[in-house]
Amino acid sequence: MSNDFAQFQDAFFEEAAEHLAIVEEGLLALEQHPEDLDLLAKIFRSAHSIKGTAGMFGFNAVAQFTHKMETLLDLLRNGQKVVTPQIADLLLKSTDCLKTLIEAAKSNEPVDNEVVQRLTGELAAASESGGQAAPQAGVAAKAASAPAANQGHTYIISWTPPAWLFQRGLDPLQIFKELGALGTLSEVTVDTTKLPELAAMDPETCYLAWTMKLNTVKDRKVVEGVFEFVREDSILKIEEGHEAREENRLQPASPSPLASNPLPIASGLAPAEGEEPKPLGELLVESGAVSRETLDKALSQQKRVGEILVEQQAVTPQQVEQALLKQRQQESAAHAKKTDTASIRVDTAKIDKLINLVGELVITQSMLSDLGARFEMRQMPILLERMAQLERNTREIQERVMGIRMLPIGTAFSRFPRLVRDLSAKAGKKIQLVLSGEETELDKTVIESIGDPLTHLVRNSADHGLEPPEERLDNNKPELGTIRLNAFHEGGSICITVEDDGRGLNRDKILAKGIKQGLITENDKLSDDQIWALIFKPGFSTAEKVTDVSGRGVGMDVVKRNIEALGGTVSIKTALGKGTTFTLKLPLTLAIIDGMTVRVGQETYIVPLLSILESIQPKPEVIKTVVGKGELINVRGTYLPMMRMYEVFSLQPEYTDPTKAILLILETEGERVAVMVDEILGQQQVVIKSMEQNFRKVEGVAGATILGDGTVGFILDVRGLLEMARRGTPVAA
Amino acid sequence: MAKTALIVDDSPTMRQMVAFTLTNAGFKVIEAEHGIDAVNKVAGGAKMDLVVTDLNMPEMDGITLIKELRKIATFKFTPILMLTTESAEDKKKAGKEAGATGWIVKPFNPELMLKIIAKVMPA
Repeated sequence: MSNDFAQFQDAFFEEAAEHLAIVEEGLLALEQHPEDLDLLAKIFRSAHSIKGTAGMFGFNAVAQFTHKMETLLDLLRNGQKVVTPQIADLLLKSTDCLKTLIEAAKSNEPVDNEVVQRLTGELAAASESGGQAAPQAGVAAKAASAPAANQGHTYIISWTPPAWLFQRGLDPLQIFKELGALGTLSEVTVDTTKLPELAAMDPETCYLAWTMKLNTVKDRKVVEGVFEFVREDSILKIEEGHEAREENRLQPASPSPLASNPLPIASGLAPAEGEEPKPLGELLVESGAVSRETLDKALSQQKRVGEILVEQQAVTPQQVEQALLKQRQQESAAHAKKTDTASIRVDTAKIDKLINLVGELVITQSMLSDLGARFEMRQMPILLERMAQLERNTREIQERVMGIRMLPIGTAFSRFPRLVRDLSAKAGKKIQLVLSGEETELDKTVIESIGDPLTHLVRNSADHGLEPPEERLDNNKPELGTIRLNAFHEGGSICITVEDDGRGLNRDKILAKGIKQGLITENDKLSDDQIWALIFKPGFSTAEKVTDVSGRGVGMDVVKRNIEALGGTVSIKTALGKGTTFTLKLPLTLAIIDGMTVRVGQETYIVPLLSILESIQPKPEVIKTVVGKGELINVRGTYLPMMRMYEVFSLQPEYTDPTKAILLILETEGERVAVMVDEILGQQQVVIKSMEQNFRKVEGVAGATILGDGTVGFILDVRGLLEMARRGTPVAA
Repeated sequence: MAKTALIVDDSPTMRQMVAFTLTNAGFKVIEAEHGIDAVNKVAGGAKMDLVVTDLNMPEMDGITLIKELRKIATFKFTPILMLTTESAEDKKKAGKEAGATGWIVKPFNPELMLKIIAKVMPA
């Protein structure tokens, strides 16, 4: 399709994703309320929208497949068929397939055609059996008339338009103009016999009819095409005039329309100024000299440059192959570059508000510079007041700008109704999913990253948490198990809970398993929380059997790692026989963190607040040096590796004696490390600037930020520090 | 003076593409996301030189919109084109009966769209 529209592709993919979600959600709801016509209309509209727009970009596989879905949906919508579980299931599977097709169109990857074919067949079958088959208008383009010699025709056209012509905004004059553009229009006569007396005349009714003669090189179909919008309602006769045949006889017949001089044809279609000249084939099709099929056939016989060169022995097939490979690589590289630029759709209200705020900022700035130009000490209170205003403006703008990246979490939740439906079918359990807080907003990147961990937690609840129906009934619980997903804001974080009313975590079982796996010993005195934390250890699973759904090694440890990678935490609340709640606490955005500023020598570092457990000033007896392991510190019975930050970053510290310095106990992914610094300066929010992008990766440093005094502060990478501690080799930067 | 076109479609992508095509052709474009929105946008007596509307839309579909517009004096003779898909023969008919001037079959390219517009717009 036209390249002009390529720039809208990203928007299409985003829109298609939204429509897919509507279709899927709608179909799931339809299973509960099969008679809901509004729902069907909504699903149909979304499918229809995908189809129409996909066609515009030439994603024909998407358009064709959606068309099949749409046909079935239309029958349901019109009540010609009813929604059965089979049909709902088929449509859901088709939605998955459509998703794949759209992904494929996006990435230019091939798809599994077998699935597409099978579902296409099933959709067609479902649309046919019972109810009448969908009207398949325009199934195949009518066989184009045999290419006629284009020596020019004279048509005698008589046209009686419908009386209501004007009421549809149609104007006979336009038709005459268009006919005139095709050739020479002459002998236009108007038939006024139907014209009533002036007094009886309705000026909005067309009483006239016309006959005219048209000399043109164009085919009859082109002439008919002029009347496209009125043909069916008019009395229209287009007859080939005798003169034309005379002329034809006089002129020498051209040997073949393809080989004939294309000029007389092209002249009628002289491209308007600035218009791209069209390929010869296109012009021939437009003029009606050849049909589209004939042209396509001819084009398909064209040989590729490579083949021709190989035949002429100018190059070897291998050289062609290599060149083709290179071409493909370049194409995919270009494509990859393109897909990197993710777009985001923003509510215009958000942008309007932002523009207002920037306006206020500009006013504050001009007030300040006005004050600064002729400042006197007695104006100090005014200065302070305006500085406060500047701070307010800045903070609000910062919040609003962050807000642009904020999306409702509902987009991440939307996959779960389907997931739970499939899980309950697979596990033979009755499960209902209750969603709440879908409107809670968080950063787009966070939303994208929490999908998988959440999926794992929901699967876990469905598979391990909820009991089979019999067991539930035995325990005086309703047969129907409930999984609740909830999102809400709490302080500067967002909390997402995954709650089930299942059997709860079994303390004894987990303990036994932990001992068996050597994670703990029988003598360990563990608190409940410490026991629950065991399920986040790699390889830990209490599932008695590996099921289709979970227990295949990808465990809760991955969930925890993923959430912590986002700067978040996972916690568990559980009651035996009552259920389990997992709570994910995540920062609102990844671009700003709450940090503790610490000093080492003259340098300032920022430690992510989330990873700080406590800070201590150690007593001499708790510090141990172990050969090959470096320094360890005993914190209430647990030995942690200790890192001297001045050694790690080769600095001149104030204190080299740990008992005078401060030790920060940091934790990430369940591992701890003690980090020695000179002083804790305070707590502040910092904007993260990437090190890799601006300099290079530095071990132990996650990024940098600009501090209040204009200097650069490094943000510590706790994960990286832990790894350095494990190697026992503090690397000088 | 630039001619004004009203584009009615619930798909933002489609709206963008139609708007892009018409703006490039020198039109001033007003967008509406469904029939009600369109009716509201012309309620103040705004006159349009052309209307391009989708058929399947929430709130108010294209056919109803065409009927509504034809009731308004300033839209009596305005060319109204409906966007249809190749298979919607019955929709085409319903649209015509409602008072649509013509139709643009999806998928279309800008060139084709302008050609069809030229058919119904006095130069």
